[in-house]
Amino acid sequence: MTARWRWPLRVVAFGYLALLVVIPVGSVFYRAFEHGFATAWDAVTTPDALHALFLTLIVVLIAVPLDTVFGVGVALILARHRFPGSWLLDALVDIPLAISPVVIGLSLILVYGKSGWFGNWLAAHGIQVIFSLPGIVMASAAVALPYVVREVLPVLLEIGTEQEQAAATLGAGPFTTFRRITLPSIRRSLAYGVTLTTARVLGEFGAVVIVSGAIAGRTQTLTLFIQDGIENLNPTGAYAGAVILALLALLVLIVLGGDPERRKRRWRSPSDQFPSDSETPSLSTT
Amino acid sequence: MTLEVPEGSLTALLGPSGGGKSTLLRVIAGLEVPDAGTIEIDGEDVTGVPVRDRGIGFCFQHYAPFRHLTVRRNVAFGLEVRRRPKDEIRSRVDELLDLVRIAHLADRYPAQLSGGQRQRMALARALAIEPRVLLLDEPFGALDAQVRQQLRAWLRQLHEKISVTTVLVTHDQEEAMEVADRLVIINEGHLEQIGAPAAMYDSPANEFVLKFLGPATLWRGRWIRPHDLVVHRDPDLGGERATVERVTHLGFEIRIDLSLAAGSPVWAQLSRGSAAELDVAPGDQVWVALSESAAGVDGSPVPASTHRH
Repeated sequence: MTARWRWPLRVVAFGYLALLVVIPVGSVFYRAFEHGFATAWDAVTTPDALHALFLTLIVVLIAVPLDTVFGVGVALILARHRFPGSWLLDALVDIPLAISPVVIGLSLILVYGKSGWFGNWLAAHGIQVIFSLPGIVMASAAVALPYVVREVLPVLLEIGTEQEQAAATLGAGPFTTFRRITLPSIRRSLAYGVTLTTARVLGEFGAVVIVSGAIAGRTQTLTLFIQDGIENLNPTGAYAGAVILALLALLVLIVLGGDPERRKRRWRSPSDQFPSDSETPSLSTT
Repeated sequence: MTLEVPEGSLTALLGPSGGGKSTLLRVIAGLEVPDAGTIEIDGEDVTGVPVRDRGIGFCFQHYAPFRHLTVRRNVAFGLEVRRRPKDEIRSRVDELLDLVRIAHLADRYPAQLSGGQRQRMALARALAIEPRVLLLDEPFGALDAQVRQQLRAWLRQLHEKISVTTVLVTHDQEEAMEVADRLVIINEGHLEQIGAPAAMYDSPANEFVLKFLGPATLWRGRWIRPHDLVVHRDPDLGGERATVERVTHLGFEIRIDLSLAAGSPVWAQLSRGSAAELDVAPGDQVWVALSESAAGVDGSPVPASTHRH
């Protein structure tokens, strides 16, 4: 790149981010506290708001571990075993990325709803999926399913099987090998995958709005609470809810994905990278 | 094929790349399942025994270091998995690190080691579990020439010290002859010959073995060693008449390309001293004979081109 273009390109990059992210999100913070902190606090401590926060956290606590275990399992299967149909599994994992969340929500209703395929059976056994917690968890887990697989799989392929084989020759069983050799090798990418999954589940709207019915105080998550605030002339509630959601997401990024070493390393030249690090070069492009 | 490896020996599986040597080694280790046949260690059939219970030490070609563990933890891995007491692990690992001379690198990570150091770490790691058999896959393949030379001699000494039954895979005949006390020559999945290096060099079973173990030239329809040809200028001493085509100096060895009166080419390998004594130049007339102790094998019906080393 010639020096002539360096400054204009930087201005464009930062300007683009400012217009799309920094200014809009900043104005949400501004509007939330426009009428004072107390007003905002009151808006998010109503029973409905607290319930929405509580429900969102519950959904995260169930859906994220599900996607994590499933994601690592699928990545291991795809990386370590070639079998007829592995290409199909690989392609299926990406479906939630390709299809609109609304369609995923709708398809869940078709299968688990009252007139769905399993609807009668579920109803007969007293299990309500749609318009209740199981449906919200399923929709969230479905939408956020690809992230762990897509983060972990390339690293598994990159590290290869030799270390695992070496562990086996030294007497380690499959579980020990996974825990002591494979898991430490994928740790960073797994953490990043879990971060993305959590952020996605926290912010999911389209699939959840379809399956939950968005009943205030019962099946309303934080994103649905915000939507409700906008529609029902409770803008302060909506903005304050948005602030809470943004702070939660920030917390997730800091706790799980905010490994400052990782971010710094990305901006160093490859030759200064600490050689013992198990992170592979392919990862730093994520 | 049937292959028996005597206890305490250092056996080299030698052959061209892609001939099935590494596969055989991995089958012995249990990393691959044989289509047919059995593997026995100490007379016990281990064909169905999983890798981790086989009691083998395996060194991978690229050493497969555990990248997230220090040298010490790498070597300790097999003992930790076996839940040995901490004190025992510590003293055993210290002992092994001393043995492979990397005690001063105990707290480094594999990426901070040179190739040779990594290889010795892999060896210490494999030896830690006191394996019944030590298997080395192309142990010097990934090292540069000088380090390779040093490590060969070192491995030989190490084997004399610990005398664990060892099988190594290599495609380098010089390496195999230097390190091993037994050679197993494998080509395209076949076992060509088994024996001591010197004996096999002197009496190869077939053309392949002869050519693989050293230089070869075709003399009257037989493959022979070019250093078994005697070249002189005295017609009275007998031999076949030839014209010198080319004289090549390769350090200690002098190579003389000749064309026989009958028309076919042959080459002779002379020491520096005897070449100086002979003092020939291209175009000179000489007489060539085969020394009495020479070994050889009949060439294939269609003679292949002269094999050079």
